[in-house]
Amino acid sequence: MPKMKLKTLAQTPAGTTVTISHLDSHPDTCNRLREVGFCENATIRLVSSGSSQLICEVCNTRIGLNYTTANAIVVLPSKE
Amino acid sequence: MNAVSPKKSLRTIALIGNPNCGKTTLFNELTGLRQKVGNYPGVTVEKKEGRILIGSEEIIVLDLPGTYSLSANSPDEKVVTDILFGRIPGTPPPELIIFVADATNLERNLYLLSQIIDLKIPTVVSLNMIDRINEAGIAIDTSMLRKEFGVPFIPMVASKGIGTKELLSAFEQLPPIADVIRQWQLPEPVRIEHNELVSILIANEKMSEPAAFHEAQLLLSTPKDVSSFSNEYNSETLNHLQQDHSNLQLTGVDRHSIFVESRFRWTNAAYKKSVRHTTPRHQNTIHDSIDAVLTHRIWGFVIFFVLMAVMFQTIFTWANYPMELIGSAFDMLARSVSTVIPEGDLQSLIARGIIGGVGAVVTFLPQILFLFLFLGFLEDTGYMARAAFIMDRVMSKVGLHGKSFIPLLSSFACAIPGIMATRTIENQRDRLVTILVAPLMSCSARLPVFSLLIASFVPNVLLFGFMSLPAVVLISMYLLGLITALLTARVLKSTILKGPKPVFIMELPPYRIPSLKNTFIHMWERSLLFLKNAGTIILGVSIVLWFLATYPKMAQGTSSEKLAHSFVGQAGHAIEPVLKPLGFDWKIGIGIISSLLQREVFVGTLGTIYNIEHADEANATLKEQMQKEKDPVTGLPTFSLLTALCIMVYYVLAMQCLSTVAVVRRETNGWKWPAAQFVYMTLLAYAGTFVTYRIGLWILS
Repeated sequence: MPKMKLKTLAQTPAGTTVTISHLDSHPDTCNRLREVGFCENATIRLVSSGSSQLICEVCNTRIGLNYTTANAIVVLPSKE
Repeated sequence: MNAVSPKKSLRTIALIGNPNCGKTTLFNELTGLRQKVGNYPGVTVEKKEGRILIGSEEIIVLDLPGTYSLSANSPDEKVVTDILFGRIPGTPPPELIIFVADATNLERNLYLLSQIIDLKIPTVVSLNMIDRINEAGIAIDTSMLRKEFGVPFIPMVASKGIGTKELLSAFEQLPPIADVIRQWQLPEPVRIEHNELVSILIANEKMSEPAAFHEAQLLLSTPKDVSSFSNEYNSETLNHLQQDHSNLQLTGVDRHSIFVESRFRWTNAAYKKSVRHTTPRHQNTIHDSIDAVLTHRIWGFVIFFVLMAVMFQTIFTWANYPMELIGSAFDMLARSVSTVIPEGDLQSLIARGIIGGVGAVVTFLPQILFLFLFLGFLEDTGYMARAAFIMDRVMSKVGLHGKSFIPLLSSFACAIPGIMATRTIENQRDRLVTILVAPLMSCSARLPVFSLLIASFVPNVLLFGFMSLPAVVLISMYLLGLITALLTARVLKSTILKGPKPVFIMELPPYRIPSLKNTFIHMWERSLLFLKNAGTIILGVSIVLWFLATYPKMAQGTSSEKLAHSFVGQAGHAIEPVLKPLGFDWKIGIGIISSLLQREVFVGTLGTIYNIEHADEANATLKEQMQKEKDPVTGLPTFSLLTALCIMVYYVLAMQCLSTVAVVRRETNGWKWPAAQFVYMTLLAYAGTFVTYRIGLWILS
């Protein structure tokens, strides 16, 4: 089976839909991300991406993140 | 209304849910109250209380701040857990819960619901905004949700009152709470450790079962060292906890994430059984196109500053007509009083002291209403959160994040709700920095001061053919406050309140057509508050000031000489040497001191002082009196464009608001920070005004 390439959400181009593989940061940050919807296996659509921030859609809600936070979200291409 | 025995304590319902899901809208609908609602997360930061009748029973309703979980990451979220677990003296835990869920965003809301169900408090779910699910492309099976979660789900549109009756009658048919079971499963080794810790907490810490069930999860998943809880738990509990952490490490389970993951696994499965997507998920929408422009790294800033410019330009032009009308009405009133009451102290007190002082301030009501109209639209459309999002780039340069911008933007209206809004900031140091700089944002109380001085001394000419110079000066004052706030935050964050770069996660609400009703209610309440202040504080200050500016009396002399001889004149001359380096005379000094209580008192004070001094010029407005005012020694005008700018700079930078000092004391639990804030802002104001005056003199020379 081909090995799927992992990226962080900050490295994902705008307009793509991805699935969260895992979160990689301080446990407090990871749990906060999970509580707002960024839990493992959730699908995210990247709405727009700027030079240091991005907007994505998760659980039907739009969330703004900075790149430091987005780099904690490790993603795979979406199955949807 | 049914009679309720005063001895019997009333039962309490708590409204709980994620931020921006319509809790306050439902609270207002149920109780008939008019708490502020807005289309951005974090409008409610403390509990609000009202009453309703369910059947024949009167019940207290608590509107609580929005939260994503019961982890209490920020002060506003802590309010929710403190109330749920009965940690606030005098506020027993609620007997009933209305869990408000946004029907278009149910997937995430179910996580918090599962935590609420664990508390074993009778709960009904208000499935709010049900009218938007077609647009969102989803169909919801409420009977399946009830089966999965064991609690009723009532479809509602709280803003239109749809479903309210069904919601309340659901409480009368609630199943016994014992029938509601916790269905989410933990891996076996974690479940064993968790159950043991729950028993220990019940036995050693005298916790209720639901509180122990919740606390055990927090303690087992915490990244903190066990020793950091030594003040909260006894040593036996802590030894057991230490052992639990070691045991879980040996199992290879990530104890930090296992509780959240297990819960989400169950809620996601329940969601998939109950909710069907009628259109493919994650499609591009019109909101994407709007966001692409409004949050663009260049256009986003351009639009923000254009909106601000339009707001201030409009405040200056549109508000002029009603302001002139109010001014004329007060002039007429003063003249009528002068004709009815014979000349003497009583006439002087009413016509010059009270009407002169209060009237000078009330004239600015239309400008304040326009400011709230604009801010209300920005909040209701969903733009407020976007402004905070684009500003994160600027805020991160000073060590804060975009979330701190909402309290700053709210402080344009008033620093008090702005400071309260900092409760949504998770990091304590970032919250403190935001509290310390929020009063530098120009609030509505500064508007009468700015408007009076700009209208009197800034020439009304057009710049670039469309922007009036008065509006440019007004915007500059707002920008001066904003830039000073950011620079001060930078200094604080790199010195005494140093901390790591904050994590930025911000919910961006859907764009909505602004609610005129909400905005007008908010404007109405703000105008009542403004008039109440004018009728109490400013009226009181005007009367006291009239007395101090009239007595002791001089038998002979001009009005100016009599004023100089009065208590106010003597006090003013005593402080004049301190203010001379700023280009201020003693009358401006009296204005500054009397407005320590509240900034707009400055205008009322000048109104009273000049009315007494120019008693013979009955028809002259405050603006005309100030324009004519001359230094008795040099014969030069007291006020010039430079003096006006200096006064404005002073008011941008100085604290001059005792209510803000009181709120900062409450929010920081002591006098240390409000005292430090008062001192640094006063010094900053003095230095800033001195520099402005010196630069002005140098340019003029």
